[in-house]
Amino acid sequence: MISPRTAGAMPAAGPWLPQSAVLESVTPETPGVATYCLRLTSGDCLAKYSFDPGQFNMLYVPGYGEAAISLSGPTRRAAQGGADTELLVHTIREVGSVTGAIARMTVGQKLALRGPFGKPWPLAELTGVDVVLVAGGIGLAPLRPVIYEILSQRDRFGRCVLLVGARSPENLLYAPEYSAWRSAGVEIHTTVDRPAAFWKGNVGVVPLLIDRLRLRDAGRTAFLMCGPEVMMRFSAAGALARGIGRERIWLSLERHMQCAVGLCGHCQLGTELLCRDGPVFRFDRVEPLLQIHDL
Amino acid sequence: MDTNELKELLRELRFSAELTDATAAKLVALVAVRHYLAGAVIFAEGAENPWVYLVVEGEVALEMCIPARGCTRILTLGAGDLLAWSSLLGNGRMTAGAHALTDVRLLAAPAKLLKDLCASDQHFAAEFYREVARALSNRLVATRLQLLDLYGDTSAAAMTALAH
Amino acid sequence: MESFLAHSDLQRLIDALAGRGYMVMGPTLQQEAIVYDRVTRIEDLPRGWTDDQQPGKYRLRRRDDEEFFGFVVGPHSWKRFLFPPLTTLLTSRQTEEGWEFETPPDDPPPLALLGVRACELAAIAVQDRVFMGGEYVDPTYAERRRKLFLVAVNCTQAASTCFCVSMNTGPRCRQGFDLALTELDDGFLVEIGSDAGKELLAALPSRAATAAELEEAEAHRQRARVQSRSIPSDEVHDLLLANLQHPRWSEVAERCLSCANCTLVCPTCFCSSVQEVSDLTGENFERRRQWDSCFNLDFSYFSGGHVRQQTRARYRQWLTHKLATWIDQFGTSGCVGCGRCITWCPVGIDLTEEVAAMREGAP
Repeated sequence: MISPRTAGAMPAAGPWLPQSAVLESVTPETPGVATYCLRLTSGDCLAKYSFDPGQFNMLYVPGYGEAAISLSGPTRRAAQGGADTELLVHTIREVGSVTGAIARMTVGQKLALRGPFGKPWPLAELTGVDVVLVAGGIGLAPLRPVIYEILSQRDRFGRCVLLVGARSPENLLYAPEYSAWRSAGVEIHTTVDRPAAFWKGNVGVVPLLIDRLRLRDAGRTAFLMCGPEVMMRFSAAGALARGIGRERIWLSLERHMQCAVGLCGHCQLGTELLCRDGPVFRFDRVEPLLQIHDL
Repeated sequence: MDTNELKELLRELRFSAELTDATAAKLVALVAVRHYLAGAVIFAEGAENPWVYLVVEGEVALEMCIPARGCTRILTLGAGDLLAWSSLLGNGRMTAGAHALTDVRLLAAPAKLLKDLCASDQHFAAEFYREVARALSNRLVATRLQLLDLYGDTSAAAMTALAH
Repeated sequence: MESFLAHSDLQRLIDALAGRGYMVMGPTLQQEAIVYDRVTRIEDLPRGWTDDQQPGKYRLRRRDDEEFFGFVVGPHSWKRFLFPPLTTLLTSRQTEEGWEFETPPDDPPPLALLGVRACELAAIAVQDRVFMGGEYVDPTYAERRRKLFLVAVNCTQAASTCFCVSMNTGPRCRQGFDLALTELDDGFLVEIGSDAGKELLAALPSRAATAAELEEAEAHRQRARVQSRSIPSDEVHDLLLANLQHPRWSEVAERCLSCANCTLVCPTCFCSSVQEVSDLTGENFERRRQWDSCFNLDFSYFSGGHVRQQTRARYRQWLTHKLATWIDQFGTSGCVGCGRCITWCPVGIDLTEEVAAMREGAP
């Protein structure tokens, strides 16, 4: 079988052959969303699997099909304090038959995965830079590995700011971790579209947080964004208005992924095949593509 | 705060950063700094409030109340945001109530004096209302995004409804 | 160094290929069209037939000569042999220890394609880039491609729907073949394109071609250069991408049935979908890949809806991908100028006309 040429991918597998994995734990997060930790069952695969923040796996439940899910946990190098570095962490929103099947699985059951796929967040380019993470809803999931990465090498980066929005307070993803992140040096600003009675925080959309953000030096600030496409579009406009260059803004885009290897055509957006050219894109490359909603 | 400090402040705030020196100076002459402690009411919904404000520091919550439903926070404002624009543009009655979420510092100007100045000084009026228009258009876009409910409803009730 | 092979020795070519283990696929006459199927005898070929093609129209007609290859291209392209319409990619079996996954063994018979036109050679080269030129190689395509023997045929006429000249893909076969034939009045001029071709030709009773035969071949090939349609291949990429909101898209959408014929007959279209298929026990599953089309509404299904809900958006996706964004993705155009999409569109939409319309309207 012909192997993919990316480092860290499955050993000796054609692009269609998945590797068996066992569901080790399920952590409910927000309504309809939970985090599933998987462990590959083959020792060989376990040893060789590695991913970069922003990449995704194709999770496979035989009988149902596959779903593209971003990795949302720490990379091996960023995992800290005795964390199990062999666990592959995925935060999944239940929306269809495959994600529904995963949501009904119990710990110990088996499924499979192919991956990792896709272009990751450009962490190598962010040394010494103030990093602003802009997350909407479940968009925080593919950004969480970036937070872990930054926290594991805190001195390498400048400020780390997280702007996170959700529909209402109960939907703020990973909220129980925010205070630990704050203590470790992440500035966090949250906002919701619809408050609950007890909510004492911001109300309004995420771009408003970008308008108000105190910046040290726009020339040494980068924005990494993930969330609903419309939110990202207006957030990017907000960042541009604050003097951030187009080449310093990155977004994670989404379309239906099926083969994940650039051969089936489903994930095409204009010039890009999202599974192989993305899902992380620098804003200047995709700006024109986002202007037409049915491209 | 003295005049120069106020001028500096206006330079920093998003609302006034692009005003010409001349216009900024005229605005400085009209504003005063106000402080509100966390929890303090700045104005009530429906009240006649003759002031216009710029938020300098802190967070302000805007709420609207409906009989039997109670009061809902519709927006929070922060540094650089315009507050109480209805005193300039509407009938002077506030469309929402405002209170300080944290300790808040505002620049306050009397709406009547501002309106008189705009009536007699075209250049000031043009620049000032340009910034007001810009602030409100941003607010409108943000409100539209809120209305679009981009995140969708993932609650069990909504997902069950989707399945059927 | 070109050779001459008599008409009467064409059977020897087929036999020599079969003798080397190849299954020979070539043009045959079935269901009132010329389609590619197994060929064992020269009588299987549509000798003496030609095709009349117009937008939305395809008819076969008897020629007044006995040319073996006196037609151009029909509803089949060779892609069905390299990129099969239906493939099983994976089997999953439930065992006591968990799931067992297997890529089904794939040992396809070596194929010899007889009668490959220049545009089709170009199409195979385009699909080589798609399926084998990137980070991930498609094993199904690669295995079939590896075992392929290509006998090309230089066209001696063009259909009214052909525009390979403007796409720089024909009508002359220049590379990518093992042998290339040009039909003459009493035989074939044979050009060698590879060592495998050379070896095969050596087994045939050919002789060096005469100067007169070379001239005759050139004269026959020149006839295929007479084409009435064209696309400005240097300009079309920028033209389409600058006009994504052109009113012409709405106009063509009123005619387009979104039937996907064009994508089915196109020799380079490669969109596919994977289905999960179960047996009766519910313990054995297969993942099957089959041809799909960006014209199908469900193809753009995403997050509870369809990204390209309107025909307008789907037509624009197909045409801009084929002529423009394909270049960004794979370095070549996706179109080879074969004209099949024009002929086989039930309402006769002509992409050369659509491009021209947009060009006229462009500022």
